Amino acid sequence: MKFLPSRCPACSADLQVKRLCCPTCETEVGGAFDLPVLARLSVQDQSFIWEFVKASGSLKAMAKLLGLSYPTVRNRLDDIIARIKNAEVQCKELHHPVEERLGGNHE
Amino acid sequence: MSDDAMHAVQPRRKNWFSMLFNPFRYVAGGSALVIGLGLMGPAAYVGSLSRTHFDGVLDVHSGLAAPTWFFLAESVIDWLSLALLLALAGFVASRSKFRLVDILGTQALARTPMFLVAAGFLLPGVQRFLTYLLENLPTLTQSPTATPADLWKDLPLADLAVFALVMLTMLLMIVWMVALMYRGYAVSCNLRGARAALSFIIVLLLAEILSKFAIISVARSAGITSS
Repeated sequence: MKFLPSRCPACSADLQVKRLCCPTCETEVGGAFDLPVLARLSVQDQSFIWEFVKASGSLKAMAKLLGLSYPTVRNRLDDIIARIKNAEVQCKELHHPVEERLGGNHE
Repeated sequence: MSDDAMHAVQPRRKNWFSMLFNPFRYVAGGSALVIGLGLMGPAAYVGSLSRTHFDGVLDVHSGLAAPTWFFLAESVIDWLSLALLLALAGFVASRSKFRLVDILGTQALARTPMFLVAAGFLLPGVQRFLTYLLENLPTLTQSPTATPADLWKDLPLADLAVFALVMLTMLLMIVWMVALMYRGYAVSCNLRGARAALSFIIVLLLAEILSKFAIISVARSAGITSS
């Protein structure tokens, strides 16, 4: 099983999708597409979110599923929330460079 | 998402080390509170039989006779002093939302090693050694001709060995209890690193002072004194 990498193995920068293809008609689409924020998380974090949604967002149900205590599961969720917020900030910085955000005008 | 990826969220196998030093990874909240309080009662009863007082969050002393309820009151005061102060510290130091029941539960369960300490003081060798000390120390300290060698002269060596072993076990149990208290606090409030350690040390010292004062007040109002 191969997992989708989200970081460059050489410089650790965020990777982008350059080509997409249709497995049915083999049409290829080229460009520079950012990975969605959720896809940038680790496989473990994605699996946690997956199960969390399936459990209707119940931390108690997650604790039961994982065999862990309620605060341990809540702490893990807090850590994932922090990572999602970081990824969002990075995403914004990528699309709105510092000069733009500071209101710089290059005309 | 594939089934392979789902393995990441399968229940993890518990190992003994983790269960001993961080049981709160698996147990917290109401269940920890029930187990902790459930053990606090028998520990207080065993403590009353061996006259073992937990007269402070980190204190263990033996000798003073008192009614059974007082031994339970000491344990409850120790537990609440630390748990409530840790909850206050959590509100200040933690950025996460946490439940009071987790702190109360983990701190109640963290006091479990004290049950073993109280049981250790029940050993006949320890009781004989303490009786020997209580009977001989006052006479020897009041006698102007007595030397320290007089105390050791008739000392039962086997009882001394048992006593030393229980003291060593007691020290290890206190270290274990403090480690459990810290882990309980860190897990309940989602704290780690210097922020967790520093706030825990400050609260532990404050709780020790608070519990000591509270226990002395209860003892005085109930007419329980060492004299």
